[in-house]
Amino acid sequence: MTETTWLIAGAWVSAGLTIFLFSFLYKDNPFFKIAEHLYLGAGMGWWFQVYLYNIWKPKVFEPLAGGDFFVLIPALLGLSLVTQFVPKISWISRYGFTFMMGYGAGLEIPARLSTDFMSQIAGTIKPFSLMASMSGFDILNALIVAAGTICVLFYFFFSVEHKGSVKKISNIGIYFLMIYFGAAFGNTVMARFSLLYGRFDDLNTSAAASNFYATQIILAAMAAYFLLHSFLGKKEQAEEAR
Amino acid sequence: MKENLLKFLKIDRRWIFLALAMILFVPIIKPIGLPNKTISKDVQNAFNYLDKVPAGSFVLFSLDYDPSTRPELHPQAVAALRYAFKKNLRVGIVTYIAGSTGLIQQLIEKVPAEAGKVNGTDYVVYPYMANAVAAMTQMASDFYGIYDKDIDGRDARSLPVMKGVRNYKDIPLIVNITGTSILDFWVAYVGDKYNVPVVGGVTAISQPGYGPYLQTGQLKGLIGGMKGAAEFESLVKEPGKGTSGIDALNLAHLMVLLLILTSNIILLVVRYL
Amino acid sequence: MKIIKNYLPLAMVMVMGLLMLGSYYVPHKLSVDYVEQMNKWENIVFAFAFLLGLLSLFVSHYGKIRRRQDGWGYSIFVFVGFLIMVVPSLISGGKQMVDGQVTGLGWSFRYVYNALSATMFAVLAFYIVSTAYRSFRIKSAQAFVLFVAAFILILGKVPLGQMAWESVLGWTGYGIDRVIEWIMSVPAVAGKRGIMIGIAIGAIVTSLKIIFGIERQYMGKD
Repeated sequence: MTETTWLIAGAWVSAGLTIFLFSFLYKDNPFFKIAEHLYLGAGMGWWFQVYLYNIWKPKVFEPLAGGDFFVLIPALLGLSLVTQFVPKISWISRYGFTFMMGYGAGLEIPARLSTDFMSQIAGTIKPFSLMASMSGFDILNALIVAAGTICVLFYFFFSVEHKGSVKKISNIGIYFLMIYFGAAFGNTVMARFSLLYGRFDDLNTSAAASNFYATQIILAAMAAYFLLHSFLGKKEQAEEAR
Repeated sequence: MKENLLKFLKIDRRWIFLALAMILFVPIIKPIGLPNKTISKDVQNAFNYLDKVPAGSFVLFSLDYDPSTRPELHPQAVAALRYAFKKNLRVGIVTYIAGSTGLIQQLIEKVPAEAGKVNGTDYVVYPYMANAVAAMTQMASDFYGIYDKDIDGRDARSLPVMKGVRNYKDIPLIVNITGTSILDFWVAYVGDKYNVPVVGGVTAISQPGYGPYLQTGQLKGLIGGMKGAAEFESLVKEPGKGTSGIDALNLAHLMVLLLILTSNIILLVVRYL
Repeated sequence: MKIIKNYLPLAMVMVMGLLMLGSYYVPHKLSVDYVEQMNKWENIVFAFAFLLGLLSLFVSHYGKIRRRQDGWGYSIFVFVGFLIMVVPSLISGGKQMVDGQVTGLGWSFRYVYNALSATMFAVLAFYIVSTAYRSFRIKSAQAFVLFVAAFILILGKVPLGQMAWESVLGWTGYGIDRVIEWIMSVPAVAGKRGIMIGIAIGAIVTSLKIIFGIERQYMGKD
């Protein structure tokens, strides 16, 4: 096959799979189910070959073949994880898990402490040390950030006894959280639309004459399938009723 | 009246689906012609940081997004990479998301050639690594301890593009474009600890979460979602998919607002009628 | 046996954790060497964790096919999808492009995996719209605040919305992009920072619990 043929075949396959997945929005159907299962398998397949050629081969097999038996340690620890699937010896997998857990936990503590805790407190306080050079509006903003952060923390940490002034403070905290969630929701709308735009843009490419109108033809075929299906479905129902 | 309104509220959602599909598809075929105009502070900062890196420096691009976030992040990566080449920076590309290796391939098929850049001399692509934190920590002492070979199997130390690069001390900027929390790792495990400037490109969904890092300067700049991509494209004067994307999203955004307002107004009317 | 099954793994997590933690604060050559070795190992161990996901997917779908469970035919496509990626990769040695020609693997990524993965997530756009219509109810002051923030963000991110704002509120002299910038850099920062500090404390406590063997759910049952 020439390169152009491959490109056209690609346009058809990609448009077909896209429309199959979208068809679920109308109604569940076998084409959707096929595409859905293909997705599971293809994703795993892609990852598998990435791991194979990026890690297992160059970082495990090749050093082993070159006589570096040290890599056996992490390789065996890694393979130990798979014993999870055999209940009798599943305890072996603990060695793999404890290695990863210990590594991760040990690294996480100092990083979190400095980045998400101390730096954040410092970042809240720091503007006040520069107050002399700040405008009134900036000072107000710094105050809002500081007050808001404290209120939100009150909401989280005194969640048991929300009474009196604690309740008032944590209530203000909720409003700050709501603004954050509102902003997050607004942004989520844009993100989701962007992804849909991406798919539609691809469908538009497949719809070109040079791709022999892949999108239009597959879309029409899908519509015909649903029409036929509902027509036959009604007939069946009528027969059953008789 | 009341019943009709309530019926309208419980309309088959497939009509809404259809409306959205139309409103988003039509501008793709026939653009509205209302591209993005504003530039946010965070995108401007991201651009400035890339802009002020001296020519010839080695900049690390960590591209960690897969097809599921491609429409938002690929335009960001294209624009940032183009500008890096335009500024004659040396570029190293790493990734910690398996799905992004295919997109990186598509990126390097196109972008370097436009600027006449050569693989190995001007840029280099490294293989995927499973654990981002492990690789990041490793690069602090010895880059080649984890990246001894590039994706083509060449010895990384002997590539001209890597000349003089041993660890973070030799890397003046890290650009991380991702739809995952890998940017948090870059900030915590590299930016904060080794004082390397980190600039991010993220999906619109995760954008608000980086406000605190931006305020403290732990993150130097941020490109957020397709809007961010469009802004960056206009800063580097290379309109691409981000610019055309924003144009197409115009009507859909108004549609959501209209829907939320409609349903709430209906409920109000029903209650007080 | 109990030593091998329980105590040794717990000792390992403690030693690993404490050494990693200590090495953060001790910039000695020995600790750097140790961390380097662990980085390389962790990267390899972590790569094998992927096999867990792969095997559980295979086991569950193979089981469906063997038992001829309802819809077992679809399960075959899981394996078809897997092979569509892996076979071309084995042929081209994992290369997506050879001598300027896209290989079978490159093709499969571009037209199969890309389409499937991207569409799976794009579908969510439809649901967020119908949810916005059916469930976004402004019933309380808190919900109203959330709505106002969302409204401004959705409106101000597109040029058409910016124009609408200009025509109604242009006289104030504040563009919607400046309002968005303020929301994102002031109240939203306060909200997120509170969450961030809260999560950081939680994560640190959990990590300490893991290191000292108090939290051991990941070890599974005896």
